[in-house]
Parts: sequence; structure tokens; C-alpha cells
Amino acid sequence: MASPCELLIETEDPALAAAVGAIVAAEARRVEAKYSRYRADSVVGTLNARAGEPVVLDAESASLIDFAARCHALSDGAFDITSGVLRAAWRFDGSNRLPTAAEVESLRARVGFERLVWDPPALTVPAGMEIDLGGFGKEYAVDCALALARRAFGGAMLVNFGGDLAVSGPTRAGPWVVGVERPGVEGEARLILDLERGALATSGDTRRFIERDGVRYGHILDVRTGWPVQGAPRSVTVAAGSCLEAGMLATLAMLKGPGAEAFLAEQGVPNWCLR
Amino acid sequence: MQVKKTPGALRLGLMAASCSLLGGRALADTPTPAPPAESPSDDEQPWQFDTALLYFKENQQRANGTTPVVSLRKDLGGERVFTGSFEFASLSGGSPNGAVPQKKLQTFATASGTRLNNPDGTPITYTTPSGKVVAQLATLALYQIQPYQQPIDPNYHEQRLAFDAGWSQPIAVGTHANYGGRIENDSDCLALGVNGGLSHDFNDRATTLGLEAKLESDRVKPPGGEPEAGSDYRLTQKYGSRGKWGNGLMLSLTQVMSSRWIANLNYAFEHQHGYLNNPYKIVSVLDGTGAVTDWVFESRPGKRTTQSVFWGNKVAFGSTVMDLSFRHGKDDWGILADSADLKLRFNVGSEDIYLEPHLRWYHQSQANFYRLYLGASQPEPAYMSSDPALANFVAHTIGLKLGFLLQDQAELTFRLDLYTQTPKYRTSYGDEVNLQGLDLNPSLRTVLFQVGWRHGF
Repeated sequence: MASPCELLIETEDPALAAAVGAIVAAEARRVEAKYSRYRADSVVGTLNARAGEPVVLDAESASLIDFAARCHALSDGAFDITSGVLRAAWRFDGSNRLPTAAEVESLRARVGFERLVWDPPALTVPAGMEIDLGGFGKEYAVDCALALARRAFGGAMLVNFGGDLAVSGPTRAGPWVVGVERPGVEGEARLILDLERGALATSGDTRRFIERDGVRYGHILDVRTGWPVQGAPRSVTVAAGSCLEAGMLATLAMLKGPGAEAFLAEQGVPNWCLR
Repeated sequence: MQVKKTPGALRLGLMAASCSLLGGRALADTPTPAPPAESPSDDEQPWQFDTALLYFKENQQRANGTTPVVSLRKDLGGERVFTGSFEFASLSGGSPNGAVPQKKLQTFATASGTRLNNPDGTPITYTTPSGKVVAQLATLALYQIQPYQQPIDPNYHEQRLAFDAGWSQPIAVGTHANYGGRIENDSDCLALGVNGGLSHDFNDRATTLGLEAKLESDRVKPPGGEPEAGSDYRLTQKYGSRGKWGNGLMLSLTQVMSSRWIANLNYAFEHQHGYLNNPYKIVSVLDGTGAVTDWVFESRPGKRTTQSVFWGNKVAFGSTVMDLSFRHGKDDWGILADSADLKLRFNVGSEDIYLEPHLRWYHQSQANFYRLYLGASQPEPAYMSSDPALANFVAHTIGLKLGFLLQDQAELTFRLDLYTQTPKYRTSYGDEVNLQGLDLNPSLRTVLFQVGWRHGF
């Protein structure tokens, strides 16, 4: 997940806490192992390595591709799991190297969800293209891990993978209190939110960015231009029923750039945009 | 082709997509075995058993007693609850008979049960001024009261046995019904009561509205029978047993005010009718100098209607709990009663030991027929009583309770309360010579000590 992952559980039983923690950790590792783009043996790794040929997907992976398709349609193409190739131009590691326009243009030719051949259960990634489920993989893992944890324990729990989190219900003493980091200043919470149910996801440039000439280029790329979204908030936090939903709304809001707040207001979700 | 979307439609579409992804996900794929799911705790609770022993002692050789109580509670789950209790009280000592002290020796008689018979065995009877024929009683047990002492009948003795049971259950979503009964048998009284009620929850159970009704019937049978109200004490004109009946209605509102504060407001209406006298209390009849010339049995109206309003609060400050309540009542006998009660419970040392200091203040105005004594020259009023319980007084209680929480929901408690009742009118109405320097209605002090034990099984 490339982020700290934790489980908070309200119980006086250390053995139970350890057991549920193991369930959550196992699920996090499973989702990562299955869908990480960095692993050649993951489903994503396999699809990318065998670009040009149809690959039959299992039920879970097929559902994820369906979900990606729905998000692509709902966002008018702004969200696109094939945008991964643009990574070659944009490396977000805190350095200040920017790609040239030509580099970006050549990569843009290899991007476009509509170019995938999706004939369930077989998916063909055309040669030269790549898919990446990182746009919602972590949020998906949170929802799955919480669902498994709930089958083992009926009390209050909070599953948090690097800032994308979901709760099973309020604690006996009241709601969970969550702090959202201030962009640029790690560790100092800017917002304190009370969460009783549902999930929170944060999309922002706190950890991954390129800074050049005083301009910060966040890691959310606008597929239609090939460049990071301009005028986006530094951080968008959204509360929704599931982490998937919250994360997707936060990402789509970032993609709207200056229109992030208006977009979220239109969708009617509790949100906190920090600029 | 651009499809126009309505605001929020994207979110709805997204919710649908994520639900179908998460819901349809074949969890059978995951090899991780889940530990046995913790089943929701069984609704049904074990039997809860509660017992307490109360000992109290009043000053000046007045009453003292011991009362063990046992109560049971069984929660059958689904909010169906059975409660029952059993109480045995043994009280003895003395009880003020209502007469005023004098500067000379006084002799009184305690009621006994023996009837006087004619030589042929038939009871000797007497026809009362109101035309009733009653039995005459044998010589009664006499007791003497020293000069300046408050007349207290030292032969006060009572044993009480009481049972009650109640049942409560939901009858619809958010609505509960309850009903119950009680039997109480004293040496001189048999009381039966039934009660029933309904309550309904609103606002996610933050508000509860309730209505309770009760009916009660008492048969009073003091030894030798009940005296005719206002009759001459020495003539001891008595009846057999007589009854009194009561009914009551209470409207209550319970509201969760915040996460730490719950409040309760009640309005109660009660009506009693029948023989409402205390069959042992008398009133002194004094001449102009304050010397006693006669005693008569008290006479209370045959009806009494009471209304009261109660406001209670429980507030939590962390693990400390404060219980603060107020009550105001009035009845058609002219009694206005006000009280305030404060308890504060806090942990000492650990979470399993607590202390609960207690303070209570009570004020009562007297019944409009209450008299310290009657004047011989005045016509006898329709109603009169010298019962100190109907007088104008202020009472204070200060107490402390110590509790120990033990394993398996068991609890051991010790409670000590000191009660002081100070009447307002204690000297003569005028300048009667023979009453100067006498305390006609002394203060009462009572010590109450209670040990309680509760556990489940």
C-alpha cells in the first residue's frame, strides 16, 4: 500500500485485537499482492505483461474492471485506469524534474480506457498500454478489510490505510476523532473530524509531488492533457458510506481543479477542501 | 455525446457501482479463515437477586425496627422483565399518641382486643351518638407518662409482611406495557394493590412518555377495632375493621438531555377514601389553664386528594454521578410538601469501590385540621388530629453510602442516614399557665442503617 496501515479496535481482549488485526493485515497484503502494479505476478502485472492478448479474469478482478468502467463514464473520461503510462514522464519523488511537452504528448497516445477490449470475463490491454488500479486500490482494500473484520467482531473498529479509512460504528464513548494533515506540514492535524459511521478518504499532494519554480505539481494527472491538474486544492477529504465511494469522489473533485468544492457541493457529500 | 447529468446523479451512480463491487465480491475467494464470529450477546440476563437489611432507631424511646427485604429481577430478553420482592418488617418501641405533655403524671391505655362481656357471655354494647352499636372493651394495658415527657405509647409493635410482583414487556415498536400487584399484611392491616401502565418512546428512544394507574384497597383492623372518630378516648367505642380505598394516576416524561444528563418529570394524582384515621392517635382537650380534661380520638376527613410534581435528574461527570431531584405536592387537607434531594456517587481508589453522600431537605405545612390540642370551651371541630406526621415541620437527612462492586455483578452496600424532623409549632397557642415551658411537639431524630447485597444467578 506504500502507506502506514492500522486497525483501531475497541476491546479489552488483546487476543481478539491481535486476531482481528491479523485478518485486516492479511486482507491488505492480499489486495496488494493481487493488484499491485509493481508485482509481475499480480493480476495487473500479468495484464500489462501480456498486453495485446486477451486475459481471462476471475470474478473479483472482473468486478474491479466494471467499476473502473463505471467511474470512467461517470467522470466523463477524467478518471482513467490506463493513465499509468504517463508515469514514465512524471515521477513523483520529491525531485523537481518536469517532463517536456513532447514526452507527454507521445505518452498520451497510449492512454484511453475506451481502447481497452473488455469482453467479460476477458480483458485485452492493447500493446503499448498499461492499466493501474492504484486510483482506488487502497480504498477497496479498506472496505474489504473492514467487511472481514466485522464478521469477526461486532464492536467499534476503524481501519486506516494511509489516510483512507472506514469505521464499523461509533465507540462506546462517542464518535471516532480523526485528524486530517495539513498539506506541507506532516504530523500537524489541520482538521479534526468526528466520524460515527461510513468512511473518509483524502486525496492530496501531501506526500507525492514535484515542486519546481515555486509551483507544486500534484500526483493527480488529468488524462485529457497529460499534465497534473492545475488549481486543485492541496487536499480534499470526503466522507461517504464506503471508502471506495469517498475515495473516488475525492479523486474526481481533485480532477475538477478549481471546481473541486462546487463539484462536491453538487454531489451533496460532507467534504473538506484545503487550499 | 455529452449526457447531461442532474446534480448528485454522479454520486448515485458511484454509490451503485461501489455497492455492486463490494456486495458482489466473492468472499469465498479469500483463503483467510475468520475466527468464530462473536454472536450477539444473548438478550436474556441471569436472575438478579437483591437483598437488604434495614435497621432504624428513633430517639426518645420511639420506634425502632429491622426490615429485611429480598427482591428478584429476571430479564428474559427482548425487554421482557419480571420483578418480585419480599419484605419482612419488625417494628417496635414507642409511638407518640398525639396527646400533649403536662406538668403532672398522665396515664394512658393501650388498645387491647378483649371485649367486655355480660355475665351471660353476650358482649356489652354501647350506642354511639351517631346511633351505631359497638362493643365495649376490657380494661386496657395502662402506661404512665412522667411530667414534662411527650406521651409515647411504649407498646407499639408491628410486624409486616409484603409481597409484590411486576411484569413489563414491549407490545409494539417503541411501546411497553407493565402490570403488577402487591399484598401487604401488618398486624393491623391487610392491603392489596394492583398497578398497570403504558409507555412509548420517541426520538430514537431519547424521549419516553408514560402513564401509570394504580388501585389499592386496605382493611384496617386494629386490636379491638377502630375507634369512632372524635369519640371519647376513655369510652373506647370501637368498630370492627373498616376499609379504605385509593386510586392514582401518574403521567411521566423522561428525556435524555445530553450524553451525560437524563431528566424525568412526573405529575401524579391520587385519591383516597374510606377510614383514613390513625386508630391510635388521640387529641388532648385542655381547660383554660392548659390542664388536660379529656382525650378524644382523632377525626380526619373521609376523602383525600393529592397532586404532586416531581423533577429528577441524573448527571454524569466522568465516572461520578449526581442525582438531584425536587418534589412539590399538595392535597386538599391543606398540606403543602416540598423536598430537594441530592446524592453524589464517586469512586474511591478503584472503580469497584464507591461512596455516595446524601443530603435531603423536606418541608411540610400542616393539615388544616391539625391541632396541638383542643380547648375545652370550644365546640369540637368536625376534624382534628395531633398526629406529628400532619404537623408543620422541616426535616433534614444527611447520609453516606459505601458500596463494593464484586465479581459476577455482585454488590455489597452499607448505608447510614441521620434524619432530623423539627416541628414549627411546639409551644402553646396562648398563655396557658400549665403549658409554659413544655415542648408540645418535640423534634424527632432517627438513625437508619442498611446493609445490602445483590448478585445474579
